Amino acid sequence: MSTQLVQAIWGGVLFGSVYGLMALGLTLVWGAVRLLNLAHGAIFVVGSYVAYFVVSRLNLPILVALPIGVLAAAAFAYLMHLTFIRPVIGKPGFDNSTLIATVGISIAVSAAAILIFDPQYKVIPPVIAGNFTVSDVQITKQGLLVIGTSLALFGLVYLFLTYTRQGMAIRAVSQQQEAASLMSIPVVRTYGLVIAISGALAGLAGVLLSPFFFLNPNSGFNPMIQALIVTIFGGLGSVRGALVAGFVLGIFESFVEVFYGVAWAQPGVFLLIILMLIVRPNGLFGIGEVRRL
Amino acid sequence: MLEVRGLVAGYGGGEVLHGIDLVVNEGEGVIVLGPNGHGKTTLLRAITGLLPPRAGQVLLDGKDITHWRADAIAAAGVIHIPQGDLLFAEMTVTENLLMGAYHGPTWSERSARLGRVYELFPWLKQRGGQLARTLSGGERRMLALGRGLMSKARLLLIDEPSLGLAPITTQQIYASIHKVKQGGLSLLIADENANHVAGLADRVYLLETGSLVREGPADDLLRDKALLESYLG
Repeated sequence: MSTQLVQAIWGGVLFGSVYGLMALGLTLVWGAVRLLNLAHGAIFVVGSYVAYFVVSRLNLPILVALPIGVLAAAAFAYLMHLTFIRPVIGKPGFDNSTLIATVGISIAVSAAAILIFDPQYKVIPPVIAGNFTVSDVQITKQGLLVIGTSLALFGLVYLFLTYTRQGMAIRAVSQQQEAASLMSIPVVRTYGLVIAISGALAGLAGVLLSPFFFLNPNSGFNPMIQALIVTIFGGLGSVRGALVAGFVLGIFESFVEVFYGVAWAQPGVFLLIILMLIVRPNGLFGIGEVRRL
Repeated sequence: MLEVRGLVAGYGGGEVLHGIDLVVNEGEGVIVLGPNGHGKTTLLRAITGLLPPRAGQVLLDGKDITHWRADAIAAAGVIHIPQGDLLFAEMTVTENLLMGAYHGPTWSERSARLGRVYELFPWLKQRGGQLARTLSGGERRMLALGRGLMSKARLLLIDEPSLGLAPITTQQIYASIHKVKQGGLSLLIADENANHVAGLADRVYLLETGSLVREGPADDLLRDKALLESYLG
């Protein structure tokens, strides 16, 4: 295979799994809570900085820092739920107030990162170092880990939603909230659970991706925007949509980038999305308002 | 077991219920009869926490549950089969039933309850893998009933069991509710048709424009055709 082709496939699969991992958290929260969480990138940043802190200041190995970063991101997301989301659940203006609150949280997190650390780019070591070459293309082992983790998490989330009591309750709440409460499912607590899970996914993405993109107070922004695009492309609230759309967009972007140049990558992606939304306004697997998770 | 005292409830600026007093005793079948739009649904919603009452009290075994959340009231065994069924449309029949047993302790206990519901509605077993949104009206009602029965219900509140159903399905539904009652469950049924509930009722309340205007043993009230006609038309 030609170097270009290998480059395009590798980059595409890697981007795709990264986009998918971020989009998974967004789509879960949208599907269950009807919350467009614009703090998803900030939660990504919280997870990465906590892991960075554990590695660089406490001198602990990255394998210790990884779970701590993930837990910190989940805790942060849950705290956000308690302080800004829960008080407005079921009240008029939920959409606007949570939208503004999550943007505010994003700004606060990046400011806090500058105050606590500094604006310089940080480096988190990869969980697995090293690489090898295939047709002159460097394949990093961390990249393989990211792809594997992303696929595994999609599988786990699917199994969780399909077969466990809690996962089924999340689907029930997303489909018929009133009936869910009549079945003694605590709706608001279920929201909190979904938001914490989504936070853990964002934190994991943050810790695993920072070796590629470096870490700075705004490094969650681009992944979140990409994830939003993926989520809309795949259908808001659809787990399967996030997976498929992540890979479709990642691979498409990578091929455009390799064969037509970087300048065409983003315009190409947007063109594809516009065309797709003309054909399917609810996204690939979007089913409108009724069906979500 | 259930006692409602001076219950006032409504939506927005309007008051629908103007002080309801009602009692359901252990094992009793109580019917609230009333025409459409007189507050039957509002009454059930206010009892089970879907609509916070404005005044009055709801007591379960003497304990004040007036301001409990809907999920806590359900967990206490007061199970509301709502109007419109409110199924989980994109979940299968079996998944809907399992959600009814959300508060259940173990998977084995849950599958035991599943067995009991399948015995009552054998049809549900054949359709286990089908999505709820693909069911017909009568099938949905059976699923809604079955889902409610999956819980550890002590008192079942059913909102118009026959609403929108064909006569033959209506018969089946009331027959299965009858079986449920024989199993010892207490019932509070809101209905607008006196003929349907005759076999189920121990006591009857007549609801008119948000107030209970008559109360009495079913044998007396349901036989009084003139009275029923004047209330229900």
